Amino acid sequence: MATTAITRYLTVSDAEIGLDPEGYLVELDQWSPAVAEALAEEEGIELDAEHWEVLEVLRAFYAKYEMAPAMRPLVKAVGRELGPDKGRSMHLMRLFPGSPAKRAARLAGLPKPTNCL
Amino acid sequence: MKLHIVNRSPASHRVHEQALAAMGPEDRLLLIEDGVQGGLPQLVRHFEAIAGRLYAQREDLEARGLLGRCDGSVQVVDVDGFVQLTEQAEHTLSWY
Amino acid sequence: MSDEHEPLAGDLLVILRHAPHGSSWLREGLDVALVAAAFGTDVSLLFMGEGVTALVEDQSAGALGQKSTAPTLEMLEMYDIETLWVEAEALSRFGLDPDELMLAPRVLEAGAIAEAVRKHPRVLTF
Repeated sequence: MATTAITRYLTVSDAEIGLDPEGYLVELDQWSPAVAEALAEEEGIELDAEHWEVLEVLRAFYAKYEMAPAMRPLVKAVGRELGPDKGRSMHLMRLFPGSPAKRAARLAGLPKPTNCL
Repeated sequence: MKLHIVNRSPASHRVHEQALAAMGPEDRLLLIEDGVQGGLPQLVRHFEAIAGRLYAQREDLEARGLLGRCDGSVQVVDVDGFVQLTEQAEHTLSWY
Repeated sequence: MSDEHEPLAGDLLVILRHAPHGSSWLREGLDVALVAAAFGTDVSLLFMGEGVTALVEDQSAGALGQKSTAPTLEMLEMYDIETLWVEAEALSRFGLDPDELMLAPRVLEAGAIAEAVRKHPRVLTF
């Protein structure tokens, strides 16, 4: 569940972006590509074209279904939009190491996926 | 055999119909809480289709003063009987 | 829409018996189905009683801004939840035609419902 408690702020081009205890945006409409860059930098990820296309798939998913996807549906959505070579968990693990569904959702300005552990 | 548990009265809800629709030929139905009203002679007709496989919780009947009014076709079980029914069932489904 | 040879079995059957907006039961049932599917469980969904109204088209957020469950239903296929059933009796009680429902569920008569329940090792009612 998205939480409304702001535990810290991220400063992005003079704007204060409120983050929840797990680092997800509290106000989802504060997202911008610059915010994604700043969040990624915190994690030591440099966003390239392959990252951005996944973030766009995630934002489209959320706009359509109003939920952030768990890993399986994320893999499926990426496969549909970007082709079967990219719709594989290995590809997503390489781009967003650790827990791709959670990590990519955070960078895409989505709430934390609720139905994945 | 699955055990289906209904806690709503057939006089004001259709929950029992859902349980009956889902029941297989071996399944049993236990009435608890307000569901035990279904054991009254005037209401037990709702359960005609499962004659011999209808149970009602003794404590819930007693608490409502309905134990003596329960239809003879209903098998009344106490807490131990309830436990036995769940042990005999491969699975329990609640209809509420 | 109805194929007599389609198996009525999966790992988990989730029965949804509550209408959208009136309570949180429908959403809770869908959440359980999604979590199970996210972990690879073969999930079947049965809309029963008032639950059939979840499949009516043109739903929107509630008066107090409660989210609609319709986008979540649209999302089921992304979780590979593709076995969707609806109770025939409930459809006729609500005057709903299967062709005007979301997701094109398969219509089940009472006998088939009992069979579906019998064939699933796990059944949860919401």
